[in-house]
Amino acid sequence: MTAPAPLLKVDQVYKRFGGLMALTDVSFDIMPGRIQGLIGPNGAGKTTIFNCITGVYKPTQGEILLTPPPASGTTAESIRINGKKPDKVVALGIARTFQNIRLFSSLTVLDNVRIGRHCRTSSNLVGAMLRLGSQRREEATIIDASMKWLKFVGLERHALAPASSLSYGDQRRLEIARALATEPALLLLDEPAAGMNPRETADLDQLIHAILDEGVTVLLIEHDMKLVMKICEQLIVLDHGERIAYGPPAAIKDDPKVVEAYLGRGAAHA
Amino acid sequence: MPKKFLLPLFLAVALVFPLLPFANDYVLHVVTLVMVYMVLAMGLNVLPGFCGLLDLGFVGFYGVGAYTAGLLTVHYGVSLWIMVPAAVLNGALWGVVLGAPTLRLSGDYFAIVTFGFAELVVLFLTNEIWLTRGPLGLPGIDPVSVDLSFLNPAWIYEFEGERPYFYLGLAMLALVYVTMRRLEDSRLGRAWLAIREDQLAAASCGVNIYAYKIIAFGISAGVGALAGCFFARWTLFLSPDMFKFWESFLILCMVVLGGLGNIHGAMVGAAILIALGEVLRVVLPQLGLPNEARFLVYGLIMIFIMRFKPKGFFPKIAAAGEANPLIKRLRAQLEQHGGTSR
Repeated sequence: MTAPAPLLKVDQVYKRFGGLMALTDVSFDIMPGRIQGLIGPNGAGKTTIFNCITGVYKPTQGEILLTPPPASGTTAESIRINGKKPDKVVALGIARTFQNIRLFSSLTVLDNVRIGRHCRTSSNLVGAMLRLGSQRREEATIIDASMKWLKFVGLERHALAPASSLSYGDQRRLEIARALATEPALLLLDEPAAGMNPRETADLDQLIHAILDEGVTVLLIEHDMKLVMKICEQLIVLDHGERIAYGPPAAIKDDPKVVEAYLGRGAAHA
Repeated sequence: MPKKFLLPLFLAVALVFPLLPFANDYVLHVVTLVMVYMVLAMGLNVLPGFCGLLDLGFVGFYGVGAYTAGLLTVHYGVSLWIMVPAAVLNGALWGVVLGAPTLRLSGDYFAIVTFGFAELVVLFLTNEIWLTRGPLGLPGIDPVSVDLSFLNPAWIYEFEGERPYFYLGLAMLALVYVTMRRLEDSRLGRAWLAIREDQLAAASCGVNIYAYKIIAFGISAGVGALAGCFFARWTLFLSPDMFKFWESFLILCMVVLGGLGNIHGAMVGAAILIALGEVLRVVLPQLGLPNEARFLVYGLIMIFIMRFKPKGFFPKIAAAGEANPLIKRLRAQLEQHGGTSR
């Protein structure tokens, strides 16, 4: 067998906002079954990449190709996902969380995850109005699957509480549960450890490995360098919308360009 | 479980109500009007309540439904069984026709377009005299008759007085109520709530925002048209004045008063404001004020709610689907295992 195809291929992506070039010629591959990190100083374009991958933005130029793990007996096919709408992208198997938590805050914890099941379920207007048998069965499976993911992140006790009543760390976990409920092949985490205390961060480390064990590939944006260096197998470093380094953490740490991006200007100010 | 008996009790009272001694034609008329507005409030609630879309043109669909029913009856004597679906579908159709191009607009712009739509409907009804007789109104609509003569030649029942309309209104209310409750607690309803809460997050869960907004618009418009259809066959006279913007505002006021997104709240809001309208109809002339001054009162109510109770009197708490047996079972399980460790 040849080397596995990348799950996601970001190929020479450019994104322009008016006169601002937010991303310039960014390329990287996401290999299946790994944890990879996307790092860089504030404003480097990390979230812009996420938004391009998930369909919130359409890249000005370049290709983003997804190769979902093939069903048995079929060959893997790449799907061009740049320009697709977010709801189509999530159905193809890319889920995400947000930098500033975006929960459905006045709904219950369970409902948040149940909405995550939307793209994997199908009952419609008629089913809902007539409460058809198929609709009722589907509702039961939605609850089962949702509770499974709530257990996975450790929030099942709070299932029927309003999402807004959760602590900050738990809200981040709920967002992850909601994303996992969409059954993604690739999960994009946007600063999952932001605002977490050391204990919560340690729990998050475990959770991310558990997600990997479920067969979900993880790409995360994170500023907590200790966490990133510890859990990521591969890092992509952005600065001013350009990829300045790409490789395993050990190599990245000593890359002069990375040191300059992070410390150069910081040292100059100090 | 007192909550369990609430609905049967309510139904029993409603069924017996018209037979009580004090239920004269006036009382029955007002209660039937309350039911029409409850249906309207539940229909409107789908947009601002479930989806977070401010619709100021809801009365337009009410008018479309009423005139569809009225014209079909006057010109063609169409039977109830065909007229009701025709009016509802016509209303829903206009909902989709209006929604398709405008739902890409956001917030205030969308509200303005819906407002414009309601005005257009009134202008159309006023000026297309060949069809609607314009400001002269549309008199001579037949009362409802239930024709079951295909089963037995004697089974033709023509509605007379307020009592049969009360029961028909009750049936309509029950139908819409059950439909709304079912929609709210379904994959569709959750998608709407997700859109209301956070559009980007909803899209990231796979909700096709645009499609679900259009469905919401169609359903809301269809319910409005259903109420209009009943109204036409009940009052037996239609005029364009009945469907002015103020009606939209009144219905919105009911929904906000009860708490956006709360089906029960919308119904209570309708009851309160219609009752208030009846009181004002007596009180205002005594104060030497014109009857239209009641909108001043509605406006004041709206301002006070927004200032002091922005979530309405019955704010919707995070408990959608609480009555669903699946959720009840889950709650019981959770309580049993209460205190399970992480």
